[in-house]
Amino acid sequence: MDINEFITHFAEQFEETELSEFKPETKFKELDEYCSLIALKLIAMVDEEYDITIKGNDIRNSNTIEDLFNIVKNKE
Amino acid sequence: MELSKYGVTLKRLTEDKIELVRQWRNNPKIQQYMEYREYITEEMQKNWFQKINNDNNYYFIIVYNNKEIGLINIKNIDYEKGTGEPGIFIWDDEYINSDVTIRASCCQGDFIWNTLKLNELHIHVLKSNKRAIQYNKFFGYELTKNQENKENQEYILTRENMLKNYKKTERLIKTIIKN
Repeated sequence: MDINEFITHFAEQFEETELSEFKPETKFKELDEYCSLIALKLIAMVDEEYDITIKGNDIRNSNTIEDLFNIVKNKE
Repeated sequence: MELSKYGVTLKRLTEDKIELVRQWRNNPKIQQYMEYREYITEEMQKNWFQKINNDNNYYFIIVYNNKEIGLINIKNIDYEKGTGEPGIFIWDDEYINSDVTIRASCCQGDFIWNTLKLNELHIHVLKSNKRAIQYNKFFGYELTKNQENKENQEYILTRENMLKNYKKTERLIKTIIKN
């Protein structure tokens, strides 16, 4: 699993945020566009793209995109 | 009365919980998103509860993982017109902007569309509350006419638009059910 590919999929769940905002160290919950809808879209994205189930707790326990990536990777 | 679906339980608001709601409703982090932003006294809260404790208003405490985390409602129901006004606020920081908001909305949504059989929902959202606007537009809410310059803007969701949007929301609902 590649973090750059993960970031691309991650960014696709947002509609207005500039692509340049998405980096491994980005604290995604601080992005203006982040809301409960995006949280659920991320869970759906991980399921569809990686066939891995993550829970709301996994999102809540992640601060950066890399944190979430590592959680997903550890479930592979 | 309790509604349990999508991993959340909605417990109808009872008098013993109105003080809990009042405390949170007066909290600046919640108050900032409300049209009415004055301090609510115990007496005002009791009077309010007497007015809403009927079949034209359903207020529910949102319970997730055995924690009371927020309030969701459908108010001012007009059964003849098939209209009502939903609303939600989450006070528990752990669950603000989380999947639980959508779980609760879907749970109440099933009650509104399938049990109460309403056909049109009206909401008011502060123009500055971009997250709420984005959230509601996703589910098919549309800004009503002549609202552009108002601070507290009215949006409408018709049953037709809700169904039109269902394809888009289905993916998320499937995710909720799976998780």
